[in-house]
Amino acid sequence: MSTRPSPLPFFHRAVLHSAEQIVPAAERDDFVRSWHAELFHMLHCIPRRRISTFRCHIDLPLGVVSDALWIRTHSLRRSLAGTPTLCIGSLLALSLCSFVFALLSYGGPHALGRHLGRQAEQSLVAVPVILFVSSAIASFSRVELNSIAHTLHRINRLLFAALKTSLALLLVFLLSVCVSRPFYIPWPHGADFMQMLLFVLFALLAVRWSLLDQEQRCKHCLCSLAVPSRVGRPSHNLLEWTGTEQSCKQGHGRLSVPEIVTSWHQYSRWTDQSSSLDRIASI
Amino acid sequence: MGNLRLSHSAALILKAISLGYCFGFDVMEITGLPSGTVYPALRRLERDELVESRWESEDDAFSDQRPARRYYQLTREGKAAALAATERYPLLARLLPEKHS
Repeated sequence: MSTRPSPLPFFHRAVLHSAEQIVPAAERDDFVRSWHAELFHMLHCIPRRRISTFRCHIDLPLGVVSDALWIRTHSLRRSLAGTPTLCIGSLLALSLCSFVFALLSYGGPHALGRHLGRQAEQSLVAVPVILFVSSAIASFSRVELNSIAHTLHRINRLLFAALKTSLALLLVFLLSVCVSRPFYIPWPHGADFMQMLLFVLFALLAVRWSLLDQEQRCKHCLCSLAVPSRVGRPSHNLLEWTGTEQSCKQGHGRLSVPEIVTSWHQYSRWTDQSSSLDRIASI
Repeated sequence: MGNLRLSHSAALILKAISLGYCFGFDVMEITGLPSGTVYPALRRLERDELVESRWESEDDAFSDQRPARRYYQLTREGKAAALAATERYPLLARLLPEKHS
């Protein structure tokens, strides 16, 4: 830590101490050191007449807090970006928002419960259509796993896919209920049909998204794959494969997505690299 | 990084640093922006590798009887971005005077 020739006044010390608690522990020392220097400069190195009371007692303390909040938000964003937790959390939050919106538009839990029960029964009719189309989509977006995946990872993948798809379907069901709500008073029977139609449409989009998202996640840690790079030349397609490769940020593996489907590279292919990483780590 | 679109505030801060205002409070004073804008913007610019920061040596700071400061300077990409920002916002060049000391 730096030498501190003169302490800051109580107010500024208190603000700095409170803001410091917001910052992640790893970056706290650096934050305090930077702000101590900034506040010291304002209080001791600048002539008093050049500093307004607003800047001294409101603006700069606000800066300390907003800087601390930025560091915390950035750190959260960095650690959560692309993780399955963020995906499930976002879907849960969106479903909750839709539920609250539906609750407000129907005027209470009793009326909403009655309506949702009826709509859910009607929407069940659409389930075979959704299942059929989803299985057709799923057969196109297959990923070949080059190595024998660990059972635990496979269970995690299946659980995550099931939870994500269920939440996405719940969200689109609530959305279809909210969107069709204004049409119930002028057009009650048509609104029922409209809700079911919207649910089918949204559900197909949700399942399609869920499958694509699942494909573009690491098969080990389930985080989104990053760093896409183009491999090969399209004009050399008969000699070598062309397409895109995406890697796991943690180095667990690589997904090769062919640009042109060929008999030797029909589907996306996952190449596991975690065992080679383990080997390197053990050396 | 070459096509990075900067907000007016970020462009102003970048321009201030390019003119030699390399300390947070200096930047805030010359641009007139509130501290809640300047400090997070400096961190964003550093994250985007347009500016880099370095700590003043403890000896220099101690001889002036004050804590060591964190100084910002433009990276190569930052210089290009500052140039592009001046072309995009021509008034920037007239808004900020060059630092003499």
